[in-house]
Amino acid sequence: MKRISSQLPGMDSSYNMRLREWEMSQETNKMGTQSRIKDLRDDPLAAARSTRYQSEIFRMERYGKNVSTAQGTMAVAEGNLMQAVDVLQRMRELAVQGATGTVDPAQMGYMGEEVDQLFRELVNIGNARAEDGSYLFSGTQPRTEPFRTTAGHVPGTGGDRITQVDYLGNNGTRLAEVSEGSTMGLNMPGHTVFWAEQQQVYSTTDASSYRVQADSRIRLDGTEIDLRAGDNVYAIIARINDADVALKAELDPVSSSLMLRTTQPHQVWAEDLAGGTVLQDLGILDKESPRPPQNFAKSARVFGGSVFDMAMHLRDALLEGNAEKVGGSGIRGIDDSLQSVTTALAEIGSKDSRLEGIAKRISSETAEVTGFDSEDRGLDLAESITRLRMLEFGHEAALAASARVMQKTLLDYLR
Amino acid sequence: MQSTFAGVELGKRGIIAHQQALQTAGHNVSNASVEGYSRQRVEMGATDPLYFPQLNRENTPGQIGQGVDVQRIARTKDELLEGRIVAEDNQQGYWEARDKYILMLEQVYNEPGDSSVRNLMDKFWDSWQELSVRPSEIAARKAVLQRGQALAEGIQDRFSRLKGIRDSVEGDIQGTVKQVSDLVSGIAGLNEQISKSQALGDMPNDLLDRRDNLIGQLSSLVDITVSSRDPDEMVVASGGVRLVQGRLFEAPAMVVDPDNEGYSRVVWTDSGKDARFRGGKLAALLELRDIDARGEIQDLDMMTVNFTDMVNEIHRGGYDLSGANGRDFFVEYPFINNISGNYDRSGDGEYDSTYVFRITGANALTAKDQVGLRGSLTLPSAGGDVQVEYFPTDTVEDLMSRINLSGSEVTARLNSEGRLSLKGSPASDPRNPDFVIRGLSDSGQFLVGYAGILRKSGPDGAYTWEKADATRDLRENGVGFSVAPLSHPSGWIVVNPKLSADPGAVAAASGSSGISDGIGDGGAALAIAQLRTRPVMLGQASGFDAFFAAQTADIGLRGEEAAKSLDTAKLVMKDLKDLRESFSGVNIDEEMTNMITFQRGYAAIARFVNTFDEMLDTVINRMGV
Repeated sequence: MKRISSQLPGMDSSYNMRLREWEMSQETNKMGTQSRIKDLRDDPLAAARSTRYQSEIFRMERYGKNVSTAQGTMAVAEGNLMQAVDVLQRMRELAVQGATGTVDPAQMGYMGEEVDQLFRELVNIGNARAEDGSYLFSGTQPRTEPFRTTAGHVPGTGGDRITQVDYLGNNGTRLAEVSEGSTMGLNMPGHTVFWAEQQQVYSTTDASSYRVQADSRIRLDGTEIDLRAGDNVYAIIARINDADVALKAELDPVSSSLMLRTTQPHQVWAEDLAGGTVLQDLGILDKESPRPPQNFAKSARVFGGSVFDMAMHLRDALLEGNAEKVGGSGIRGIDDSLQSVTTALAEIGSKDSRLEGIAKRISSETAEVTGFDSEDRGLDLAESITRLRMLEFGHEAALAASARVMQKTLLDYLR
Repeated sequence: MQSTFAGVELGKRGIIAHQQALQTAGHNVSNASVEGYSRQRVEMGATDPLYFPQLNRENTPGQIGQGVDVQRIARTKDELLEGRIVAEDNQQGYWEARDKYILMLEQVYNEPGDSSVRNLMDKFWDSWQELSVRPSEIAARKAVLQRGQALAEGIQDRFSRLKGIRDSVEGDIQGTVKQVSDLVSGIAGLNEQISKSQALGDMPNDLLDRRDNLIGQLSSLVDITVSSRDPDEMVVASGGVRLVQGRLFEAPAMVVDPDNEGYSRVVWTDSGKDARFRGGKLAALLELRDIDARGEIQDLDMMTVNFTDMVNEIHRGGYDLSGANGRDFFVEYPFINNISGNYDRSGDGEYDSTYVFRITGANALTAKDQVGLRGSLTLPSAGGDVQVEYFPTDTVEDLMSRINLSGSEVTARLNSEGRLSLKGSPASDPRNPDFVIRGLSDSGQFLVGYAGILRKSGPDGAYTWEKADATRDLRENGVGFSVAPLSHPSGWIVVNPKLSADPGAVAAASGSSGISDGIGDGGAALAIAQLRTRPVMLGQASGFDAFFAAQTADIGLRGEEAAKSLDTAKLVMKDLKDLRESFSGVNIDEEMTNMITFQRGYAAIARFVNTFDEMLDTVINRMGV
């Protein structure tokens, strides 16, 4: 292209100046937002990665909050359980004293009174509340007081004493997601923490010829177990034993009836689901009152008591003045209770250390991902300013050049 | 013997010719800054000399020159270059329009930033996490409702912005079609004038320039080819149709298309057939409206309908503070009154179709189980049906991913209870409704007894949407289905007003058989929160993270392509236009130089006339007086 028309230099410089102006405007804009990506087209793949990073950072902040909440809740429970341990240890001391046989009945009576007071304190701990007014040990019924006391008459004393403590909460666990895909239970239901002995439920109904009528489901300790039509009692026992529950089912050889036994101290939570009646037909559950835990059949024999039962047993033995009982089943009961409560404390402790580990990991991951996001999205200010200066410099040079080129034409020289 | 005044005639001819040349130079200079003007050159040639070999030839040595004539005033134009420019111009028009609107679509996203739909959704999930940790609180429920409303509004806002873009493109299309019409009739008019002028032997240069200008404008709007093979009839053609033929023309027009939500189709006025363009601004606008913007809206709808369906499914099974369950969290206005999904498609007052979005089987399946069955599924897709075969050793997971990758407009997943959930996806043919399952059939037992959806295998037990109450053909017990949204779900999504009025009705607890697990249980809330990270199958994406990332990358890459292609097209055009300018543009210095030449020539001939005049004077006044 050898021939240059008069318009060409103007068109050219105009084109190039517009281009440069646009580049300068883009650069200034990016500096204003501190982001390398002003429009998605600037770096589509980095923008796509950035969306993932940002969401991940947001999620990890939430997990961090959940971890703190979990640690806080468990700290409160821990405090209460440590108090309970103190109370039980004092009770044990008294029991040991009372069992020596060198104490006279009147003194045993006073010890019994002290145990009674300690026992009431224990009930209060069981009914402890968190800072927002919800009960700590009632499972997933935070507005229901977990332990209800019933007063009655204790032989050997005057006046009313507490004779029964019933658990009114449920066996639910409140779960919180503490890291991606993994949850942790925040609470401990009272019927596992405050339970001292293995519970055993002996039905008295002969089950040798029993057959399940229709497909049904039972729920033991929150785990659902399917039963098929035509299952006999051995099949039912096999299914229960295969399931992931801390229960063992057996057939009582004497009465050919079903027997349920816990393998870790807690109160058995048994239900028939969806209109089925298998456990009721087998004599385990009462047909009239289907809601656990007060739903065992009246004909069934239930053994195994809670921490409160043990405390009441000790108190009654002391008030009676029965040193043998005190030294035997009394101390044993308190020991079992201590075992349960300290087990619960150990569980809290291990959960807490797991949460510590998770919290550390979350904070280091958050830092890493923030770093990645910043690499993708963040603007290198020094580089950007340099680029802008170069563009400005080029722009000035171009302006000066165009001015010069368009100065003189032949017309200026023709007379 | 020559005539006495032959010399004067010669002079006169010369003067007139040089005058015309000067005038042309002046014309060039005046039009130097006119866009598209090509400089005119006077082509002078020697007049026919005396004497030709003829009978009345004088017997004197010849041939005697008779001076100069202007033979032609021609435009300096390279026709081949013009053809190249016309052919390439539609590329720039196409990418310019595309670049502008894709940028608008990119900006709708608000990514990567804090006010995008993704961010609102993250905050929404976060509020469910909070509720799962404090399930008996009213405050946490209020937060969930607030964030849910903010998300619904964010989605609606994005929908209306996308719709707004689609509407602007429609307006642009109408304007462009009108422009094309005007240009086409203008060119035809000019053709008539030019051919009249050319019939008289003239070169109507300025008319030709103006016609070239109109053709240039037209070439950026639609892809055209120009053919001047027949000198009487210039033909401008596009996509096999002749837009202009001589003074006849065919213009495009707009016709409302009810299948495309009331947007218009471009047709040819005379034949009524659809106009198809492959380049130029009009083609870009049509693609933007019907492929890009519509695709964005479909993606948003698909995410909305799936996400609300999943949240609602879990929320319905969750229990609130009063122990009640069964409420949806998100609802769509207007409500669909017919719970079986019946719909009157033909508009004749009778239900004739069933619009069902999701069908859930009755049986709980395990993903890693082998199906142990043989058969072939028939699923609807854009161009008819697709067959998906399955074999006894396939696992349920394998079969579901085969369904999802088969190109059918049905996606499969296992829901939270492990039941097979088939969902309709957006339809690529605008005549089919989005998010409707149009048919299901199985030659074996997978959908029948295994998953528990159909009653029988084979065509007898097939489910089809083309009749009312088609849901009665599904299995009786345990099959669940949800009705398809009637119009764009993302435009009409709101939080269930019953929940907004009574925050305690927000379900957080799980339960079974109508009994809640307790107000302190946050199982349902946790399940909803975990939807964010689970592989939930949104179209082809396997989870929300993948979906958002894919969307962002997709529009970003399209934008990048548009920007780069536009830069390339602009450079190509610039080079061509510079070449044209170099060839046909006016150089003032050159014209000035030419003017000097012609001026001197003029002066010289005037001088000659003068001399001849003196000679004649001698003959006339001084001979024989």
